[in-house]
Amino acid sequence: MIEYLARRLLALVPVALGVATLTFAIIHLVPGDPVVAMLGESAAPADIVAMRHQMGLDRPLLGQYLSYLGGLAVGDLGESTSYRRPVSRLIAERFPATIELAAAGMLVAILIAFPLGIIAGSNPGGAGDLGAMGFAIVGISVPHIYLGPLLMILFSLDLRWLPLTGRGGFAHLILPAVTLGAALAAILARMLRQSLIRVRESDYMRTARGKGLSERSALIRHGLRNALTSVVTIIGLQMGALLSGTLITEMIFSWPGLGRLLIGAIGARDYPLVEGCVLTFAMTYVVVNMATDLLYAAIDPRVRIS
Amino acid sequence: MARMRTNTARIRLLASFVAAASLVALPGCDDSRAHRAPGTIQVDIENSPPSTDPRFATDAISSRINELIFDSLVKTDRNGQFAAYLAESIERPSETDIVFHLRHGVRFSDGRELTARDVKYTYDSVLAPESISAKRGSIEELKSIDAPDDYTIVMTTAHPYAPALELATQGIVPYGTPLPSKAHTPAPMGSGPFQMVGYTRDESAILVRNPYCPYPQGAPRTILFKVVPDPTVRALELAEGVCDFSGNNIEYDVLPWLAAHKYLAISKTPGTTYKYLSFNFRDPRLRDLRVRRGIAYSIDRATIVNAMLRGTARIATGLLSPENWAYNGGVTGYTYDPEKARQLLDQAGYPAGSDGMRALKFEYKTTPEGARLGEVFQAMLQRVGIALTIRTLDFATYYADIQSGNFDLTSLQWVGINDPNHYYMVFDSKKTPPGLNRGFYSNPAMDRLVEAAMRTLDRAERARIYAQVQQLAAEDLPYVSLWWVDNVAVMNRRLVGFDAYPNGSLRSLATLTLTTPGKAESQ
Repeated sequence: MIEYLARRLLALVPVALGVATLTFAIIHLVPGDPVVAMLGESAAPADIVAMRHQMGLDRPLLGQYLSYLGGLAVGDLGESTSYRRPVSRLIAERFPATIELAAAGMLVAILIAFPLGIIAGSNPGGAGDLGAMGFAIVGISVPHIYLGPLLMILFSLDLRWLPLTGRGGFAHLILPAVTLGAALAAILARMLRQSLIRVRESDYMRTARGKGLSERSALIRHGLRNALTSVVTIIGLQMGALLSGTLITEMIFSWPGLGRLLIGAIGARDYPLVEGCVLTFAMTYVVVNMATDLLYAAIDPRVRIS
Repeated sequence: MARMRTNTARIRLLASFVAAASLVALPGCDDSRAHRAPGTIQVDIENSPPSTDPRFATDAISSRINELIFDSLVKTDRNGQFAAYLAESIERPSETDIVFHLRHGVRFSDGRELTARDVKYTYDSVLAPESISAKRGSIEELKSIDAPDDYTIVMTTAHPYAPALELATQGIVPYGTPLPSKAHTPAPMGSGPFQMVGYTRDESAILVRNPYCPYPQGAPRTILFKVVPDPTVRALELAEGVCDFSGNNIEYDVLPWLAAHKYLAISKTPGTTYKYLSFNFRDPRLRDLRVRRGIAYSIDRATIVNAMLRGTARIATGLLSPENWAYNGGVTGYTYDPEKARQLLDQAGYPAGSDGMRALKFEYKTTPEGARLGEVFQAMLQRVGIALTIRTLDFATYYADIQSGNFDLTSLQWVGINDPNHYYMVFDSKKTPPGLNRGFYSNPAMDRLVEAAMRTLDRAERARIYAQVQQLAAEDLPYVSLWWVDNVAVMNRRLVGFDAYPNGSLRSLATLTLTTPGKAESQ
């Protein structure tokens, strides 16, 4: 187990290197000058030269890349050109908000998906199945940018139950989390339904029924755990979509997370901040998938981590 | 049986969780409305001000907020004219010298009196090479600044410079205020009606009253500028009563919906923001005046203003709006006339083919926000046989292309034009990129006029020259003038007496009266 973990952690290094290299190349290739973005068009040419020098942008690209990698090796992500503060500190300030939102979105997705999936999977073709899958189709089809304002109108404007925007207490988290988690809930519900339909025909389910368990009890006690393996895989894989969904959700709900920081950084051509944010998102995705692999063993005794 | 009990217990637990969540949520719903202390108003802004230091901020949002915190020697009045502010009187003893006599008793928010030493320090710190301030370019004409005594400032320009008072619009900070580039410093103090006491980038800026600056009874004591990037959400916040004021950042389409809310008022006043269509003169086809005129005649500006902008603009004749002292409205106009456009394009040697299209295909660069207008232009130009390909880019990429002159056609706007010297900045052939003449327009007659106007101190003579400049620009069409955008502010009716400035200034937020809640609570 420890050896497995060490191996997976070691594999993070080339992934980080790849992500860092790709991000560095892409952000430097796209048009747009961070110096002009900072100083504006009416800046004096001498100031543009001085600022370019101060930011190290007058050095050869390879030199800039090697400095960036050198910084990364010692945990230094550089200084944001638009905020004039260390990137690592900015990320440390914003990342908890994004994690909070993503975790809440995931929780909402699970809370919605499990009952729907079980209802649909326990009686395929029935009214419950049709209703649950209808809901799932709506969940997948409605984009965040539309669902968010719709929920705001209903729960903030009309019912006046929840605050519109910003980050505060639990109440502030509900609408962004539902907006973010709705699509994932739909995907998970469909996946759980399929898995349950598959396991219903298994030998052990027949045995359970033969022992006198009701269909529902057999499904929940024996079928659900077996069906969960594929659902957990999807949860891990969908973490990327969930994290990218935070970008839009954070903009809609004025949520002060990493997504907004990244969008602003791209607009300002803030190279160090873009690189730092993308690297953080990528590493989060990889770590979550690693955790998903470990979770298999907890769910399915046949899986042994080695 | 035991298992069933466990399941029932789980369901109860879940129900309790939902109920608890609702209880937590309900107080939370009041939070957004009730958190405001008496005398506080919330103003929604679309972006965070990048800098809280007036020596560095050049963007519109920072300027609007800074105007409430910092005073300058002169400020523009509602006609775009410079009026003495910190200066109680202004003299021009020579063509290159301006003397400002400062008001006595003006105090920063810590109680220190503002003197000429603070003014000189502010300008010196902007001009210092190590500041690398974006504002250095805008005051490059300033040769020196002196403070012979505590209440006198002498500015000397390198040449006779007619728009010299523009140099005196810099917000003043106290002597010794460090440069923000050197440390993460708090927002500097000013002598304006407010001081900034809280600033979280991408979230909010909180302004409270400068205790040494008197204000009318009933005026707001605190202004919360909240960053709300999504335009739909800004409208929802107004409708919900969370936001009290939103200026020039509400989409036209939602204005009728907001107008239906009885506790909201919409103020629509003439603005000076100038929207135009720009040509790239490096393209030989666009150097042909007949092609440019053909394009101008094919754009139905009245329909766009009425249908798309819901009447929130005025058809423009040039950069200067009617409020400007140098405005000349009697220039050549281009009323929508597709037949005339076709004739001009035929004469230019681009006859229409069997499909009605001509050998004129241009690329129109824009941002996602501007794509709709691009599609309108595309449809209108197609009627006269011109093909327009729309290229939508993210703002940074788009702006980089425009700044380097890498476009055929594009549409942008100029915000806050005060002095007509702006004609020099955008049409003089010496101002091609990296200057603001992004279309590489070059006309010796225009150069002569705008340079002469810049060196002419006599107001009447300047006005005469600018009348010619406006006529020449209308005839020669470096830009197709589209419209002047109205200032549209949506506000809660508890804000009484908001006085809109043509340049979009929010100065009036400091003096309006805040009445008792008039929002949706009464509903």
